[in-house]
Amino acid sequence: MKLGAFEELVLLTVGALKDDAYGVTIKEMLEKHTGKRPSIGALHSALYRLEEKGYVTSSEGGATRERGGRRKKFYQLTGSGQKMLVEANELRMRFAKQIPGLNLSTE
Amino acid sequence: MNDAPNPPKWANRLLEWFCSHEVIETVQGDLFELYEKREKAKGRVIANIRFVRDVLSIYRPFALKRSRYNSNNYAMFKNYYRVAIRNMIRHKMYTAIKIGGFALGIAACILISMFLYDELNYDRTYADSDRIYRIINQWNEKGDENKWPAMTAPFAGVVRNEVPEVEIVGRIIPYNWYLGGSNLFRNAETTQNTFEERFVYADQEFIDILGLPFIAGDPETALSEPNTLVISKRKADKHFPGINPIGKTIILNDKNDDPRKISGVIETLPSTSHLDFDFILPLEGVEFWRGEQTSWCCSNYETYVKLRPDADHESVLKKLIAIRDKYYVTYLRNRGNQVADDVVLYRGFELQPVRDIHLHSSDISDRYTHGDIKIIWMFGAVAILILLLACINFINLSTAKSANRAKEVGLRKVVGSARGNLIMQFLTESVLLSLISFTLGILIAWLSLPYFNELANKSLTFPFGTLWFIPSLMGSVLLVGFLAGLYPSFFLSSFRPIEVLKGKLSMGSKSSGLQSSMVIFQFTASVVLIIGAVVVNRQMGFILNKKMGFDKDQVAIIQGTNTMEEQIYTFKNELKNLPEVQNATITHYYPISDTKRDQNSIWIEGRRKIDISIGAQFWRVDHDYIETMGMKIVQGRNFSRDMASDSIAIIINQTMADQLGFEDPLGKRITNGVVRNIIGVVEDFHFESVTDAISPLVLVLGRRRYMIAVKIKPEDIRGTMAAITDVWDRFMPNQPIRYEFMDQRFAEMYDDVKRTGIVFTSFAILAIVIACLGLFALSAFMVEQKRKEIGIRKVLGATLVNLFHSLTSNFMKLITISLIIAFPLGWYAMKRWLENYEYGIEITWEILAISGFTILIISIATISYEIVRAVRTNPAETLHSE
Repeated sequence: MKLGAFEELVLLTVGALKDDAYGVTIKEMLEKHTGKRPSIGALHSALYRLEEKGYVTSSEGGATRERGGRRKKFYQLTGSGQKMLVEANELRMRFAKQIPGLNLSTE
Repeated sequence: MNDAPNPPKWANRLLEWFCSHEVIETVQGDLFELYEKREKAKGRVIANIRFVRDVLSIYRPFALKRSRYNSNNYAMFKNYYRVAIRNMIRHKMYTAIKIGGFALGIAACILISMFLYDELNYDRTYADSDRIYRIINQWNEKGDENKWPAMTAPFAGVVRNEVPEVEIVGRIIPYNWYLGGSNLFRNAETTQNTFEERFVYADQEFIDILGLPFIAGDPETALSEPNTLVISKRKADKHFPGINPIGKTIILNDKNDDPRKISGVIETLPSTSHLDFDFILPLEGVEFWRGEQTSWCCSNYETYVKLRPDADHESVLKKLIAIRDKYYVTYLRNRGNQVADDVVLYRGFELQPVRDIHLHSSDISDRYTHGDIKIIWMFGAVAILILLLACINFINLSTAKSANRAKEVGLRKVVGSARGNLIMQFLTESVLLSLISFTLGILIAWLSLPYFNELANKSLTFPFGTLWFIPSLMGSVLLVGFLAGLYPSFFLSSFRPIEVLKGKLSMGSKSSGLQSSMVIFQFTASVVLIIGAVVVNRQMGFILNKKMGFDKDQVAIIQGTNTMEEQIYTFKNELKNLPEVQNATITHYYPISDTKRDQNSIWIEGRRKIDISIGAQFWRVDHDYIETMGMKIVQGRNFSRDMASDSIAIIINQTMADQLGFEDPLGKRITNGVVRNIIGVVEDFHFESVTDAISPLVLVLGRRRYMIAVKIKPEDIRGTMAAITDVWDRFMPNQPIRYEFMDQRFAEMYDDVKRTGIVFTSFAILAIVIACLGLFALSAFMVEQKRKEIGIRKVLGATLVNLFHSLTSNFMKLITISLIIAFPLGWYAMKRWLENYEYGIEITWEILAISGFTILIISIATISYEIVRAVRTNPAETLHSE
């Protein structure tokens, strides 16, 4: 299955946030790291697709006052999600290595 | 306020409306959380804006509600459709009335819309038509405003040089003037003359301004040579079928010394042009008299301009005023004319957009037949009114028949239909009906189009080929179906299942208040239209039979006699010798349209530099004129052959006598340059439209050989005309005789009035037919409901009269109310209309009574049919099942 560029970013964010990945935190982290402001609709749409493809799972969490009593939906990376990220990364590295003079360092 | 986030409620509601159950909780939670944070960080306003933006961003497929009826929708529509068809078939009469009335209304609407579309699209085809204007003169003296389009000959040239905003300026003479109007036309290679009309003079620039499309010849130089001629395609096809007419030589009026070369063929002007010529003569090299082209004396040229795109109107008008002062006022002052001061005070200009000429010229005296924006409004209103009447029928019948559908509604609700579904069902039904009615309406309109064209003097065709026609029809089907179905669908879907299924709903009585007011509305509209039709027809009869001050009957006017030259006097004498001919007169001035007019300024002798002139028609006639026309001398005497001094005598009309202000005008002397002696006063006669007041007019002896009017005896008119034709053919073997009867021409002058009358009557009849269809159906329905009641009443001894009275009284009440409302309304509307006429009829009680009586008779007849049938039924038949 394919992974869109934005979906990949969202997937990475979900993984990075570990146990605290839900709409608002994902949006904030994306804003912080990419400097772009994804709309909340686009974000949820991506999450919905990722869940359909089986790269993330979700569980419902606690409601807070500032959410007007609405519960959060937390997302976790699944095994196939992790695999997908690895594959995407490998693909990128393979191409990158063929570009002369491009100095890549992991970590 | 502190415990929960408080974003804009409507946006939140919007979210809840479109967002699906599964998604809403998390998404809404996120939005609230973000809102709270933003409110703290950036303030309420920004938070609100972002919230709305976020809500809109959620509108994506993943978040939308899945329709619960998704799979069911199609099947339901199929069911609606089937039930609708079954209902229609079951109640054939009601369906026929619903559809028939609707179709009639729609047909009328389509025809009127086509008429309006045509009227509103005059003069749109020229390139840059938004920059083309006709220059109009204004004379604005103490609220007394006059407007006319004729300019002096050198005016256009001065505008060309002194108004930089003007891109092109060109002149046209669309009058019967010299060769303008009608001429005898022949190809130089033949000898047979043909009579042709619609000649005008124009500048090459006039063609440039309008960009008239050329089929042959050079559009840029066609009129820039003297003695050329541009003809329309229609005339080129008539005179030169299959031949290229360019370069052919034409002789006009047998004047062999003045040949003309065809230099161009233009596309025949469309019927949606205010212009109406077939032949254009060049103004190049033309001078009608010595110094004419440079003189500021006489206004004969309509002047058109094309402005530059950035031109400022105000500044153009200012420059025109400057031209007025620099040239025209100077010209008047040099001649000592007292009018000069008035010109400075009162004379102005106006730029009339070429697109406005057709509909917005009612206050401008020009020679074109114009449409009238008032008629446009009137027709538009009538179209909407008729459609409304048809819609009301539909609504009334649907709600009246509601009892029949009530059980269906109840049952549908019991098995789970929501109100929305039911509304949808009834709307589907009415759109379906609307579709059928439109199809039928288009068919009716298509069939009646030829008659309508004749009625409205148009040549309309259905624009099936255009892009917008079919879609706009489909749009109308939906719109009209929706509007007509709106009330019935809400009404029908509101029934409570328990009540209707228990049979509690009293039959059709629920909406009787609304039903009554709709019937009242329908009949009020009908009565107003009838009053209108009666008044319009009376006014028309009044005009056509008005005492005109001359006798238009049994007068034949022979035209084109100018080619006879001096022979004409012998011809006239030979005609007078015929026993059937009573009298004959030679002149060009007649009290009917399209004959010559000549406006002159006249002063009392010796007061030329003191008084303001009296503008009067100055007609040159012969000794027999007054007698042949059946005019009456009220003071003094007619011209006499025995008095040589009569060559400077003048006869004035009564209006002129009033304006001169003499106690006894006989023997007084007046002048237009030549001093003349008043010998008689002729009774006022109408020489312009009867709608206008009679203006001053004078008659002098003079030779104008364009037409001969012959007064003949009433017996055997055909034989007389044959005898006259014989005489003509002896004189003019190469020119067929052309004559018309004065009374016919006179009737043509009032064609418009007649037409308005017929159109109004037709629509009034249509409105009544539609209203009566509705009334008929309502009464039939009522009878159906009361069948048993009638039976019981009869058994108990009610007489037919009793029954009839009790059944009709309700309808009679409604119709009486309509009459009470309609009388003042119709009276006021028609009074306003009659104000357009200088001599109008009075609206008497009799007219109102006739209209009211007509409506009463028609409506009683309508409702009686069903009622009488029901009343005469044997009660055993209606009661045997109980």
